[in-house]
Amino acid sequence: MTTREEFRGGTHMHVKKWFVAGVLMCALVLAGCQQSNVSDAAAGQAQETQTEQETPTDQKTQEEQPKNTVLRLAGGDTGLPNPFRHHPRGPGMAKMQLLYDSLLEKNEEGLIPWLAADWKMSEDGKVITFSLVEGAVWHDGEPLTAEDVVFTYEYYQKHPPVSNSLMADGGYIIESVKAPDSKTVQMTVRQPSATHLANIGFMRILPKHIWETVEDPAAYEGEDAVVGSGPFVMDSYNPQQGTYRFLAFQDYWGANPRVAAIEWVPVSDAVLAFENNEISLINASTDVLARYENQPDFTIDSKHSFHNYRLMMNMERRSEFQAIELRQALAYAIDREGLIEKVERGSGAIGSMGYIPEANKWYNPNVKQYDYDIEKAKALIGEASHTFSLIIGNDPKEVRIAELMKIDLDQVGITLNIESVDSKSRDEAVQKENYELALINTGGLGGDPDYLRVTYADEQATGLASTIPGYANEAINRLATVQRTEMDEAKRKELIDQLQEMIAEEVPMILLYGAVDNHLYRPAEYDGWMYRYDHNKTDHNKLSYLERNDQ
Amino acid sequence: MIRRYVITFVFIVTVNFLIPRLMPGDPFLYLSVEDGQVNTSFSEEQTAYYRSYYGLDQSLLNQYIRYINNLMQGDLGTSIYHNVSVVSLLAARFPWTLALVLVSMTLSCLLGVLLGSLSVWFRNRRSDEILYTTMIILSEIPPYLAGAFLLYFMAAKWQWFPLSGGISPFNEFSLSNAGAYLKELLWYGALPVTTLVLTRLGGFYLITRNSLVMVFDKEYMKTAKGKGLTTARRLFRHALRNALPPILTRYFMSLGMVFGSAVLVENVFRYPGIGRLMQEAVMTRDYVLLQGVFLLMAVSVLLMNLLADLLSKKLDPRVS
Repeated sequence: MTTREEFRGGTHMHVKKWFVAGVLMCALVLAGCQQSNVSDAAAGQAQETQTEQETPTDQKTQEEQPKNTVLRLAGGDTGLPNPFRHHPRGPGMAKMQLLYDSLLEKNEEGLIPWLAADWKMSEDGKVITFSLVEGAVWHDGEPLTAEDVVFTYEYYQKHPPVSNSLMADGGYIIESVKAPDSKTVQMTVRQPSATHLANIGFMRILPKHIWETVEDPAAYEGEDAVVGSGPFVMDSYNPQQGTYRFLAFQDYWGANPRVAAIEWVPVSDAVLAFENNEISLINASTDVLARYENQPDFTIDSKHSFHNYRLMMNMERRSEFQAIELRQALAYAIDREGLIEKVERGSGAIGSMGYIPEANKWYNPNVKQYDYDIEKAKALIGEASHTFSLIIGNDPKEVRIAELMKIDLDQVGITLNIESVDSKSRDEAVQKENYELALINTGGLGGDPDYLRVTYADEQATGLASTIPGYANEAINRLATVQRTEMDEAKRKELIDQLQEMIAEEVPMILLYGAVDNHLYRPAEYDGWMYRYDHNKTDHNKLSYLERNDQ
Repeated sequence: MIRRYVITFVFIVTVNFLIPRLMPGDPFLYLSVEDGQVNTSFSEEQTAYYRSYYGLDQSLLNQYIRYINNLMQGDLGTSIYHNVSVVSLLAARFPWTLALVLVSMTLSCLLGVLLGSLSVWFRNRRSDEILYTTMIILSEIPPYLAGAFLLYFMAAKWQWFPLSGGISPFNEFSLSNAGAYLKELLWYGALPVTTLVLTRLGGFYLITRNSLVMVFDKEYMKTAKGKGLTTARRLFRHALRNALPPILTRYFMSLGMVFGSAVLVENVFRYPGIGRLMQEAVMTRDYVLLQGVFLLMAVSVLLMNLLADLLSKKLDPRVS
């Protein structure tokens, strides 16, 4: 009789073999299925990209480029692209601007005629007359007339769009708007200002025949909710996937679209997607640039982002900051070049203490420079030592900047206690003036220099940037108010130059540096990318997608 | 028992309402930019306008009453950031996450049970040890890391699977292409599911193994052996059945945790579920959406607990 062990061993061996064989067979079968599925799918995918690739790589020059290029860009849900539904953050506004036209457009130099072929401003700056182009039509075929323009500006007063530059000093900047004939629009503003032309001219025109019956535009779900007069028509939008497809509008009145379609597709890793030819353009980080530099197949455009990190000082909470010596000392003591090297790997530009960055055409190169100089800083501070708390967001870059600043300032006897919170909390702390020092990255520095008034003058902020608590300077206040109503551009430039010099001398806020974007693309596939005088995110610019006849 | 669940539900609804409002940060304040972003900033007038539009300028009590009132009618409000009704947002995104979670949970459960049974079969042998160590290691890998790893090798390097998304862009479902659509869904979902399965597998394996080991030591198992039943029959017919309750309980309880991992995995693969939605809602302080998402998750977890309770009672009537 076999022992228990043998008996057990026997059964075990028998069953074990059977079991293992079974498992192995299952694994083989599954792997086989997977392979065939995957190779099918992979082949399908390869074929897809193949046909897409064939079309673009055929072209060499701009004239020869047949109009069947399809641009693919990194997607993500930014809302329904009409003036009331796009998301406030992100490129939602840019998509909306492709579907809807404005009276004026912006190119590399400044404002150019768009829906308004011509415009005139009265002597006192209170009346602006626009003459509209011929042949402009809406996507649904209806003609665009002066009535649409009048309707738009009246509608925006009752129903503010998401991006609204028609409010100032607590009121609507337009007093009245009328259409003496079907091709002319006359606007009267409440108070003349040098900023009105650009602010009014860049708002998007709505079709009256669609919106005149809509009471709640933010909730409007009609089929025609994205009908505009722009060079592209929205063909598909899927909010969950974050995909959009825009097709070129065949009956567009103006410059022809250079591409047949623009598609925004979801992307998990931008560089990988770009490598795989899934998207046409990315903003590459410095780490991956080396791979693409000095290669004929790739072009890299390095442009200022028009953002700037700044160190804000709350002079109300810590009256030490009222002393100009301390502020200037801080400016000298921080190694800003070092910050760019270590945090951005060299892809940045030092901020001008006069606020306006060098990339902006209003920049004054004669403002006081604050090169990194520990000795000067020590001389200004003297024997005193200080301790301040610094509030920052939780972005890894901000943390690094704060740590590097802490090391720099330690050398001149200033101790920083760093407090890192999430960015919304930091934003709220800044707005409620609940901080001593704050590190924040804000944008919009490409725009009209009137933002100097908003930032430095002692008036109510309009939300562009928080005012500096506790700071008031008579000369700056006066100059900031005067420049606003100076209509002569040359004279205004002089005033803005002076203002920058004053600000740089006073240094009520430390401008650290602004990131430089590196736009990477394949010129053989598409090379229409352009950069506006006030905005360098090239995929946001309308003219990037159109044939240029204004150059 | 039902009363217990109802009380929990009411408590959850109230906490859901309070938490977003207690967080610092204002949904209408956009002061700072992130890289690659452009912000629209709101003036004071606009902020006041939006605040009253969303009823945020009323007292906390008024807001609460309004919230409960709407909830009774099935209205979860309008998202501040997305400008569409929360119900439509959730209805569009939740099925993706749910599918991901259910498929991966079921797969990891089945696989875990199988492997756990194997381990018990080969108890005290080399293969058991190897399996045990492998599973322990697997269970410790964070889902985000596993996902990134799979993304790099299987999607980017070897190109077996797509890099991102839930379905190929611009592919709409229709009855004519239902087969192809389903195939694509499986292909796009393969990597996210694999990631989640890998991270959950260890847990199921261990609990199956432990549960089975405990059962094997019971008297009735000796009886079964004495009766001369084969090992397979003993294992699968007798032992596993009795070991099932803790496994099933774990299955349903895990669903809550898996939602958390699913959020991370969705981010890695840009899968169109509620993971992204929740992350955005927190970042932008979208109170209305936050309430909706948390409520949905809480209700799901409660439901799963309820199912676990009912099922374990059915399987083993001795459980009170």
